[in-house]
Amino acid sequence: MIEVAGLTKRFGESVQALAGIDLTVQPGEVVCLIGPSGSGKSTLLRSINFLEVPSSGLVRVAGKRVGFREGGGRDRRLGGRELAAQRAEIGMVFQLFHLWPHKTALENVILGLVEVRGMALADAARLGHELMAKVDLAEKMDAYPEHLSGGQRQRVAIARALAMRPKVMLFDEPTSALDPELVGEVLAVMEKVAAEGMTMVVATHEMGFARRVSDRVVFMDQGRIIEQGPPEQIFGSAQSERLKRFLDRVLV
Amino acid sequence: MNIDFGFVIPYLPILFKAAGMTIVITVLSQAIGTVLGFFFALARMSNSAILRGAVWTYVLIFRGTPMLLHLFYVYYAAPAVGITLEPFTAAIVAMSLSTTAYNCEILRAGLQAVPRGQIEAAQAVGMTWPRILRTIVIPQALRVIIVPYMTNFISHTKGSSLASVITVPELMLTAQMIYSSTYRAIEILTAAGAIYLILTSALSLAQLWLERWLRYDERGLSRRRRRALLLLPRHG
Repeated sequence: MIEVAGLTKRFGESVQALAGIDLTVQPGEVVCLIGPSGSGKSTLLRSINFLEVPSSGLVRVAGKRVGFREGGGRDRRLGGRELAAQRAEIGMVFQLFHLWPHKTALENVILGLVEVRGMALADAARLGHELMAKVDLAEKMDAYPEHLSGGQRQRVAIARALAMRPKVMLFDEPTSALDPELVGEVLAVMEKVAAEGMTMVVATHEMGFARRVSDRVVFMDQGRIIEQGPPEQIFGSAQSERLKRFLDRVLV
Repeated sequence: MNIDFGFVIPYLPILFKAAGMTIVITVLSQAIGTVLGFFFALARMSNSAILRGAVWTYVLIFRGTPMLLHLFYVYYAAPAVGITLEPFTAAIVAMSLSTTAYNCEILRAGLQAVPRGQIEAAQAVGMTWPRILRTIVIPQALRVIIVPYMTNFISHTKGSSLASVITVPELMLTAQMIYSSTYRAIEILTAAGAIYLILTSALSLAQLWLERWLRYDERGLSRRRRRALLLLPRHG
């Protein structure tokens, strides 16, 4: 479903955020990216939907090259409309939610349906109601984001991404900005989404979630994948020194 | 000489007509300056260094020199290169050039105040740039823009009095003509001042109303939209 090959990303001269990433994600697979801050987890996720333009390498989602048109021996950058159409297939949830503050929770969820999919307001609203119920916020449809808690905001953001019926969902540290007591409600919704067979890539510091929900855990450090495998293996019998040290620090 | 404001009354129709001209040149040039300023603001934020540089230079020049000079330039200097304009047209051109520079910077400040993450969230659901501008950026930018924009609008209204020097029959020129033939400067100037104050007060009130209207979270959705979104029956 997702294919990443030889992906590198430099910021300026000195910062190498990604130093050659190869990663394949199967349909329905849940992959958790773990690793210290600055290890490149976010940059990798942002490269998958082209919010970051890779310095080299390629990304395919559902067989289609993201951000470029191939052929004729030369890759050409996609125009705005084509790129937008690709992104509509890729759901993204951000660490800081990034809800639109001038829209109610329900409007946030259905804006893409109305604007991008051209759905009639009534149909979009109906679908929006289902999604708001799914993320347990049926009674908050009318609320503006600033009147919601962090956990509620993130659940709206998940519903917003799901509304587009994406082929994959990317989660960029979805619970890192939340108060500890609000983390659970967001993870519960993500588990529900995973259980429905969604292909998910989740950058996270929630080791419990990674262990319980993911099919595969990928440990990154300094822009590279150091080690990957099923959660039992990663958390039970880590091979590399770096992963062992990392786990010692986070699993107190 | 005693002051007699009753003297003004017969001249009021002329003054009101002149005020009409003040309104026309102010609103027209401000409208042009808003549209141009919007596109200039986008150009100033574009990826093209040439566009950015061109707009930056434009603002540098037209914000950095007096509008009085622009008026003289368009009316008195342009004929030297074969462009001869009527006073009214010259005033519209010069005043538009001037207010465009201010509006460009004001609108840019508003557009840039919308956090990057919100734009990325819109990109992530597959919105194209024009849509993002219309649905995400502009509605929020309006809240930031409204105070400086209306301040400039009011300032521009008063600045329109400069068009008197190129013989546009607006409020200031008309007032001057009346008192230079009647020697009733106090009465006429006070009346003209009062009219300016009425015009700018209208803008101040409009600003109050707009600021309140733009507080979306307090205002909430319109009843119709709320019904539609909450799937409520049409009546009830």
